Amino acid sequence: MTGTVQERFQTLVEEHKGILYKVCNSYCRNRADRDDLAQEIAIQLWRSFEAFDGRCRFSTWMYRVALNVAISFYRRESARTRHVLPADERFLDAIDESANQPEEVTLLYQLIDALEPLNKALVLLYLEGNSYLEIAEVLGISETNVATKIGRLKKTMRQEFRAAEQERKS
Amino acid sequence: MMDLDELRTRWTEHDQKLEAGIRLNRRILCTVQLGRTKSALNRLTVFTVLHAAMWVACIVGLGDFVYEHASSPRLAVAAASLDLYAVVFLSALIRQIAAVRRIDYGLPVARIQKQLEELRVMRIRTVQWGVLAGLVAWTPFAIVVLKAVLGVDLYQFGPAWVWTNLLFGLAAIPPAIWLSKKFAGRAGRSPFLQGVMADIAGTSLNAAATSLAALAEFEQEGA
Repeated sequence: MTGTVQERFQTLVEEHKGILYKVCNSYCRNRADRDDLAQEIAIQLWRSFEAFDGRCRFSTWMYRVALNVAISFYRRESARTRHVLPADERFLDAIDESANQPEEVTLLYQLIDALEPLNKALVLLYLEGNSYLEIAEVLGISETNVATKIGRLKKTMRQEFRAAEQERKS
Repeated sequence: MMDLDELRTRWTEHDQKLEAGIRLNRRILCTVQLGRTKSALNRLTVFTVLHAAMWVACIVGLGDFVYEHASSPRLAVAAASLDLYAVVFLSALIRQIAAVRRIDYGLPVARIQKQLEELRVMRIRTVQWGVLAGLVAWTPFAIVVLKAVLGVDLYQFGPAWVWTNLLFGLAAIPPAIWLSKKFAGRAGRSPFLQGVMADIAGTSLNAAATSLAALAEFEQEGA
């Protein structure tokens, strides 16, 4: 019975590992911190898995857990002093992540990096193709609120993207 | 000129390629499930349990001291006041543990972040009151410890000694706050010490209040 739950959990996390990767990448620029965060999220996912009742999609639930842990991790002052894994073993990795990453995506990560934690979550969910309703469900705010914020962030990010492009050209 | 919608398209294109390249270490995932990882969450749990055990030991020890010195009200009162201090802090700790256990990370982000910030405020207030009340509590502490360990009764120096020390403890509170404000950023490399000083100085509380205000704004804006 326990084995089945464990296997089901592993399969679901494996299927949605992209969420884990992108949340960690958006909240930590440092590789060691990113791996620490991935592991913290995995621990919390496993601890909360029992409470997952399937009333929302697994991806919605996983986003909630991952973002809640990531925002807390980001705010924790001592985050940089914690290294959970041995340096030679990684929990979460991507093959040639930076080599194949388009310039626009790299720049986008830089712009996301400058946002405050909740807006980071909002932009990430938007980029992931979630609808306003889905974003509202994950964040716990109204759809109108999501629309207002996305509209504002679009404006801000367009300006920042322009500034970054000009800086790169000059 | 690129905007967020065009970037979203690029992001999705990149995402499809990325998905195949992401590797999750199954061995570590199994370790996580078995609870064998040295995570910050596990360390926090161990620290909290040890902290609670320390207060329980204090309460029991002080209770025993009160019982043994029931015939000497001055000593019994000093120990009982410390016992009260320990009971208050143990109950605050239990409240924090209960609040942590109630947090369901699978609930919406704004709600959980609010709960976490409120918990942070509760923890900061406990540290503030613990340290500042501790400055006053050191007098009964000295009375009880010296009597229990060395058999020395500090009351022999007269009530003036007791009152002077209690007043000194009270007078030390404003300088302690001032010193914490001044040196919180310079408390060596110890994040723990820096954290305690920031808690006493009130800077952590201000940060938590700012976060709560930002959360409230995030929830209400455009609603």
